[in-house]
Amino acid sequence: MKKTKSLTEIALARLAKNYLAQIGFFIVILFLAVAMIGPVIAPYDFLSQNIDRALEKPSLDHLLGTDPMGRDIFSRMIFGARTAAIVAFTTTILSLILGILIGTIAGFFGGKIDSILMWLTDVTMSVPGLLLAILINASIKPPISNFFDQLYQSTKNPFFLNTYLIDFVIVFGAIALISWPGYARIIRGQILSLRQQVFVEAAVSMGSGFGHLIRKHLVPNAIGPIVVTVTQGIGAAILLESSLSFLGVGVQPPNASWGSMLSDSLSLWRSFPHLMLVPAVTIGIIQIAFIFLGDGINDALNPKQTRR
Amino acid sequence: MIIFLSVRLFRWITGLLLVLLVSYAMMFYGGGDPIKQMFLDELGNTQYLDQKMIDSEREKYGLNDPFIVQFKNYLLNITKGDWGTSYRAQRPVLDMIKPRLWISIQLGFAATVFMALVGIPLGVIAALFHNKWIDLTIVGTIVTINAIPVFVTGPLLLLFFVLIVPIMNVPYGWNGLFDTQVILPIIVIAISTLPIILRQTRTSVLEIKNEDYIRTARAKGLSENKIILKHVLRPALTPVITSLGLVMITLINGALFVELIFNIPGFGKMTIDAIRDVDHPLIMSTVLVGTLVVMGSNLIVDAIYFLVDPRINN
Repeated sequence: MKKTKSLTEIALARLAKNYLAQIGFFIVILFLAVAMIGPVIAPYDFLSQNIDRALEKPSLDHLLGTDPMGRDIFSRMIFGARTAAIVAFTTTILSLILGILIGTIAGFFGGKIDSILMWLTDVTMSVPGLLLAILINASIKPPISNFFDQLYQSTKNPFFLNTYLIDFVIVFGAIALISWPGYARIIRGQILSLRQQVFVEAAVSMGSGFGHLIRKHLVPNAIGPIVVTVTQGIGAAILLESSLSFLGVGVQPPNASWGSMLSDSLSLWRSFPHLMLVPAVTIGIIQIAFIFLGDGINDALNPKQTRR
Repeated sequence: MIIFLSVRLFRWITGLLLVLLVSYAMMFYGGGDPIKQMFLDELGNTQYLDQKMIDSEREKYGLNDPFIVQFKNYLLNITKGDWGTSYRAQRPVLDMIKPRLWISIQLGFAATVFMALVGIPLGVIAALFHNKWIDLTIVGTIVTINAIPVFVTGPLLLLFFVLIVPIMNVPYGWNGLFDTQVILPIIVIAISTLPIILRQTRTSVLEIKNEDYIRTARAKGLSENKIILKHVLRPALTPVITSLGLVMITLINGALFVELIFNIPGFGKMTIDAIRDVDHPLIMSTVLVGTLVVMGSNLIVDAIYFLVDPRINN
């Protein structure tokens, strides 16, 4: 008897035919690998300065040249990848949790609760996201710094003096708070459409419980769109992190971020174009890779949806 | 229709109030002390700060009142046309915003016109050659362009047009809309909004292309150009209007970056400066204007859609 293919097998087979998605996948994996083993492959410390060798053009010593403080750009790019990956994954998880929570409540309870939550979603989406993120960033910084200061005073643990950590917490909060509406809408839509399906009615009438419904019907059906949105969401979060750093409200110097490296080059690019070219091209490539991968996964998981 | 629009209006007004409340609360509970910041700028450090002076300044700006009172006063003043006084510049916020916003509006408008002139024809062409190589090229390029953020295209185009193909000087600053300096900023903003319009045009032309009345028009012997211009384009552009809200968000985001990159003293630059200076009244006003622009265009879209598409009536 011929074995029927599972949904996962069909999806993988479709992905195997999509070369653009594979290129995207390869670049994303490379990016994650670099972010993870960064300190091992970085030739220099990303903070170590050498004023004698400032603003050098790319050479064998410094693969991508050096910046105005004589820091190795290649090493800074690697640590920038680290920053981007940490921010992207944490904020995606945070906003996914927030979105699932709100979407589930709206979908299951319906009625007034649903319309209030969806109104909230609409409002959040209609505020220019970046403006909101900047605002959140600017306003939650002092209280969080104070909080960490108090923690340090009471525990005397030098861990809490770490400004690196504070920066990250603030950027996480700002990005998570503006990116949940997408997830909430998807979850709610899935729940609403499932509630009207005959097989769900059948399952309910046969006495299956809440947990069974979620495990056997909601999760398998919702996982496809969520995977697609998460892939695109990680790309978007990387973009938001570099946008915020570019505007000077994200991860603060001396920490390495692609966005701040790009904005630092704005005054120097005429004489030293490599300062601008390296982060700009990297951000562009990573974004394109995530889009290709997201589109590929979307096509693979939604065979019914024909693309126009 | 009036009922439909007033329900929408109510939704947007409550939404706007919520946004204002949340951002005011963020300013109030976080955001740093604006008065300290003000003295810090003048004196260079906080060492010589006189607590009495701070208190009297706080009293002057009404910063000692409870939150609800402050917020209520703020809303009342807005309706009277008083948007507060900038802590930093010591000038009425509304007077500061107007010239800045005008620059950004000119930029955004020019970019929108440019984008529509390029995007709509390209979208129609892509749809007419559906799945042919022209279509695939256009869509592929757009997907790629769409992935690249404004603050990357800006610098890359700068590098290209100033260093590699040296056909222009460094565009820097603002000399009015009819100066060659604005070409590059306008192109950068237009590129960021182009994919939205192009995709929408392509999808709706694809839908309409196969309608029965198009076949009728062809059967009665109309030329292909006339069919496209008269019978396809008009109904196809209605859904395109709906992306206005999205276009506005992209324009505002674009303004933030492009004005920073090209040093244009517009609304986006002012927003960033205001946040760096912890200038609460100015920050609130930028949020207010940004949200008003997006929500207002959504409301206009609703109204236009209603007028154009009678099916919504039911």
